[in-house]
Amino acid sequence: MTAQVRNVFLIGRTLLYEAWRRREVYAIVLITSIIVGALRFVHFFDIPELSKFYREIALKVMNVTTAATVILLAARQLPREFANRTIYPLLAKPVSRLEFLVGKFLGVVMAGVFCYALFMAVFVTVNATLQVPVEKSLFLQSVYLQILQLSVVASLVFLLSMVLNTDAAITLAAILYLFSQTFMNLTSYLYDYVDRVGQWFLVALMYAVPQITLFDASAKAVHSVNRGETIWHAMPAWVLYALTGYAAAYSCLFLAGAYLLFRRRPL
Amino acid sequence: MDQENVIDIRGLVVDYRTGRSATRAVNGATFSVARGECVGFIGPNGAGKSSTIKAMMGFLFPTKGEVRIFGEPAGAVESKLRIGYLPEVTLYYPFLKGTELLELYGGLHRVPRSRLRERIPTLLEEVGLGDGAGERLIRTYSKGMQQRLGIAQALIAEPECLIFDELSSGLDPVGRHDLRKVLLDLKAKGATIFFSSHELYEVEALCDRVIAIHRGEILFDKSLDSLLGDASDAGLENHFMSLIRRRDEGGTP
Repeated sequence: MTAQVRNVFLIGRTLLYEAWRRREVYAIVLITSIIVGALRFVHFFDIPELSKFYREIALKVMNVTTAATVILLAARQLPREFANRTIYPLLAKPVSRLEFLVGKFLGVVMAGVFCYALFMAVFVTVNATLQVPVEKSLFLQSVYLQILQLSVVASLVFLLSMVLNTDAAITLAAILYLFSQTFMNLTSYLYDYVDRVGQWFLVALMYAVPQITLFDASAKAVHSVNRGETIWHAMPAWVLYALTGYAAAYSCLFLAGAYLLFRRRPL
Repeated sequence: MDQENVIDIRGLVVDYRTGRSATRAVNGATFSVARGECVGFIGPNGAGKSSTIKAMMGFLFPTKGEVRIFGEPAGAVESKLRIGYLPEVTLYYPFLKGTELLELYGGLHRVPRSRLRERIPTLLEEVGLGDGAGERLIRTYSKGMQQRLGIAQALIAEPECLIFDELSSGLDPVGRHDLRKVLLDLKAKGATIFFSSHELYEVEALCDRVIAIHRGEILFDKSLDSLLGDASDAGLENHFMSLIRRRDEGGTP
């Protein structure tokens, strides 16, 4: 392991320890799990579709809660380092500012994955007791895509936190995350009603803002099996490769932007 | 630049910009610290001590001038490998244990894990954090304990040069005594020590040389013996105060 990779890992691991030991993550998971766990008893009129609908909602709630946790964690990293002055002893060690930033990013993603893993453990347990079949490969793919989404969201928040204060970074990231689908639909709709310059602007906007909803396959996973018949199969490998590349490109782009702003910032 | 100099600062100017205006924190500071020297950096609040030290660590970038540590530009990884740095009072990661924090900083300083296992208990004992304090979460530490932990993290890699910003802030008299003992041991072993402090008696007890800064400019750079000779019966504090007053009135110290 090179010194640079080791530094990134050590900084990331510190953040994971913090997430592990803070009670907030457990509280979020516990409260959400109680709500979601109640779905175990949703079997009105023995209509399986109703149960599926609730499970779809449950997965959405878990995805949004995990993303919110990642947004809050990422947005607070740098301000907290400055407020507690821990950035000074850390950067006084043989650590570059790039390693510091990537280490923090890795830590936030690992903490997000940790939170999501707790959620998935609850979901899989509840689902197993319901004995409602899902296409396992598709479900695992949806979990993988969610992790990719977390990395895009975390890198975006790091970039925003370089130019905005904590509250503004959290608010803007939450808006971009929550209204990603609406934003995508709206730009597609507006495209036909604007002039050529407007169309260029909308296309530029579509590329500038990552399409978060591309990483959400939870509904497909929940509805993958209907009356014993698989209606949504696992995605082909090329789709996963393309989405991995898409997530990596945006994460790298946002982190590079954050690094450019952080590289010469007086501390 | 002299190869024997560990710290070399030439014409350092540091400006803080807020919008279109700029405040000058350091104005043309020039000094050097030779290998094995123990130098105290004194000055009133807002004199430019922390800004100078931050420029030495690469935390901020000089508006003008040059800062070299071990012949490398300030902030270079190669020079940071040989430095132990203690910032002003820091609140370390509350959800780490004392030993974990030292493992983190030691790891970042490329100290082998086997060496860390040996060194951490001894170091904690040395800075007065024995009796299992290292196994507690840092959030249960007092301010003084956090400062002791800060001293331990600065010493974890047995660096050739120590740079301390506000040496004993947050420490009680016992802590100050322990720290002085640790630093005198390191000085005897040949370490280069540079620290800023408000406490003149601390400077008197530890230093070979004293550099004073006032309003961003170097007020004097003298050996301790020469400074004590100048101060004679007036005492170091009174002498320092008279030099500051003379500079404020437009004279030369």
